[in-house]
Amino acid sequence: MGVKVFDVACRGCVNCIRSCPTEAIRVIDGMVKIIPELCIDCGECIRSCGNKALGLDEDDWRLLQSHGASVISADPTFYVQFSHYWRPALVVEALASWNILDLHDWVSRAFDVAAYAIARVIEGSTEDERPLISTYCPSVVRLIQTRFPELLGRLVPVESPLEAGVALWRKETGRTDPVTLLSPCPAKITMVRNPEGRESSNIDHVVSVKSVARDLLAGGPRVRGELEPMANTRWIRWAVRGGESRHIKAFSSKEITTVTVSGLRNTLDLLRDLELGRLHGVDFVECRVCDLGCIGGIGNAESRFLGQLRTEKFKVNWDPSEEERAVIVDLYEEGVWRLPLPLTTRPGRPLADNLNEAMERLKKMKEVYADLPHIDCGACGRPSCKAMAEDVVRGLGETTDCIFKLRERISTLAAEIIDLSRLQPQTLRGRGKLRS
Amino acid sequence: MGAPYVVEFEIAKDDFLAAGEGSGSVKDTLKMLGIPSAVIRRAAIITYEAEMNLVIHGGGGVLKILISPEKVEIVARDDGPGIPDVELAMREGFSTAPDRIREMGFGAGMGLPNIKRNADSLEIESAVGVGTTLTASIDLSGEGGPA
Repeated sequence: MGVKVFDVACRGCVNCIRSCPTEAIRVIDGMVKIIPELCIDCGECIRSCGNKALGLDEDDWRLLQSHGASVISADPTFYVQFSHYWRPALVVEALASWNILDLHDWVSRAFDVAAYAIARVIEGSTEDERPLISTYCPSVVRLIQTRFPELLGRLVPVESPLEAGVALWRKETGRTDPVTLLSPCPAKITMVRNPEGRESSNIDHVVSVKSVARDLLAGGPRVRGELEPMANTRWIRWAVRGGESRHIKAFSSKEITTVTVSGLRNTLDLLRDLELGRLHGVDFVECRVCDLGCIGGIGNAESRFLGQLRTEKFKVNWDPSEEERAVIVDLYEEGVWRLPLPLTTRPGRPLADNLNEAMERLKKMKEVYADLPHIDCGACGRPSCKAMAEDVVRGLGETTDCIFKLRERISTLAAEIIDLSRLQPQTLRGRGKLRS
Repeated sequence: MGAPYVVEFEIAKDDFLAAGEGSGSVKDTLKMLGIPSAVIRRAAIITYEAEMNLVIHGGGGVLKILISPEKVEIVARDDGPGIPDVELAMREGFSTAPDRIREMGFGAGMGLPNIKRNADSLEIESAVGVGTTLTASIDLSGEGGPA
């Protein structure tokens, strides 16, 4: 998981449990617990936590640097974090002054190849197979694996260009030194640590965009603007919603219809529509779980609004030159863009290992649920009364965890006590009133 | 073993937007039982198509899903106009949906064929003027079957 719980900071306030789209969070014994099989690394819980008890499970950038980490692959959002390094080339120069090699040369090519490959996959697909879905946002991939497995076949089997770019660099230079990814979100942390569609990552460490941006913002590097402007900035547009689709269109031989959405609610609604077959005539769907796209990721330093503004200000040449095109086609033919393994469903969490037992528990769960107040207050530490009922039949809780059920029991008990208090010992019966 | 687990829905006439509720709930329930996702997919498709049939043709009705360790059974019952020729209705592309429904992108005559393709067995009992009961089931004992 790309999300980490800081136990000492957690006050058990249950704010986060309702923010989770997959109901993966519980508060047990006053402490947040995340169910790893359900977590999709969207970062919503981190956003909801006012106590800084939830954060990114990243490596320590300063520690890495002190150990000589010197090669980075940065998410496109990294280049729009700064108002004083207002062009990507200035950011690269600032890094270089710290002896850090930024792999943008390779990564930008990998983005071109990915866009080119997706255009080919779309063109080679049948009408039934469309719309195809972007695989770029790892949270969307996990969401589909977890909640929409019937849509798995629609995910384009194209590797994240952040991953492919590093592979390309290693291949062309023969270098094996460790690479650090600058990630805008928990999802891309997991992409490195525990990837889908491949055995292991080409990337060795991962830190947030924020942690490196913070150091650059703190000053130090002297930047004179000596580097040529970055020639290819198409890939930087992937930082905002719609950038990927625009890039794909640059390589499409015929017009394609795309739908692009960002934000978790929009993504969920769109996938539901897709599941019900409501997107006839759409060729490609680009979903990002963060608002405005990756620029809205919880691991960025800059305001997402300013980030978007800056991204859209960069001049982008959407028409690659003949030479560039030849390189892209060569790399495409080599297959560097292809996801090595098929994407599969994530193992679910059945109520029991065998069907008979699971059915018994399901019936029990229905009974337990019927008896709960159905107001999803969260006071029991579960996101909903349904989740509470589920935990009870799994043996992970008691109905008295429900404050309303507890009160009910207290009131029954109190009534019994009153009844008892009215009973007189038989020895006193017939004496009339008790003397006070 | 024991009575099947039953999920039941009232489906209202012409409520296109609510259709999908049943299939969503079937999915969630089967997932909890640890049913393989290929089977869940088939059950969800059948449920959705059956829901749509109730919405479009049946004038609303009741959708019942019965789950037992042996099979998932989807029963859609309505008191609608009935189907005069069931064999014809099963043909791909045959539809009696009015234009206003086709304009919305529904009623392409694929519903029943789609149900048949995804079910291990399908029974339709219908009487004109009385109503229709559709019973589709998926075997759980085997590997997950066809489609």
